[in-house]
Amino acid sequence: MRSSVKSKNQSDDRLDLVFRALGDRTRRALLARLAEKPAMVTELAEPFAMSLPAVSRHIRVLERARLVVRKVDGRVHHCSLDLAPLKTAESWLAHYRKFWEGQLEALARYVEDDDQKRQR
Amino acid sequence: MTESAPEPAPESQMETLVVRRTIRATPERLFAAWTEPEQLRQWWGPEGVMCVGAEVDLRPGGRYRIGNQLPDKNILWIVGEFEVIEPPRRLTYTWRLEGISETAERVTVRFDAQGEATDVIVTHERIPNRDLRDQHQHGWQGCLDGLAGYLQASRSG
Repeated sequence: MRSSVKSKNQSDDRLDLVFRALGDRTRRALLARLAEKPAMVTELAEPFAMSLPAVSRHIRVLERARLVVRKVDGRVHHCSLDLAPLKTAESWLAHYRKFWEGQLEALARYVEDDDQKRQR
Repeated sequence: MTESAPEPAPESQMETLVVRRTIRATPERLFAAWTEPEQLRQWWGPEGVMCVGAEVDLRPGGRYRIGNQLPDKNILWIVGEFEVIEPPRRLTYTWRLEGISETAERVTVRFDAQGEATDVIVTHERIPNRDLRDQHQHGWQGCLDGLAGYLQASRSG
């Protein structure tokens, strides 16, 4: 029972990471560029008026969401798309389970916080 | 767009889900939070999704409509009709995602007093027993599928 709870949170976490990754215009542009073909971080940085460390930070966010895979070869960082997390098939049942768990948690926070405020 | 209420899916293709949680509040408090539009708008919706509208006609046969704004700014409307209203203990209503659901689902929420707290039990019935991806869809998974498709197409283009 413990492990099934853990795996539910993990896929929730992963979805959060993907959304956070996609919620930035620069990162979406980086993904679109990588969709054409893999590239080195230095190549990716070129079109952006942005420092190399800044681009690298964006790539790290994409990596954490497992949308991009980075291979380090000496001082060269090769990046390519990893579309695996986007293709996870999921049943409606699993989707609704997460949905309702989230809803009940939000409801609990809403009424419990509200009651706390009223008691002050 | 004319809309006749979708039929439930065939028995063999449906599933039921039960989710429960104990919340430190009375059934009355929780029933109100679940049925009053001004309250619904404050807590309804997953993380990162904003409730942009709630209409509730709380009577048997009455309709409700709850709008959720997704990260991509699209609004997903959940709609249905009330079947059973027994304040503060129970609510049963049909449920579908406007423009997405091909069949009608059903949700029952029970608020069982347990001392100073309440057991909230959600039973979601008639869930289609198919991959999300098999259905025309917007929403979270739809955003991701759309992006995957776009990226795949750019790759092979």
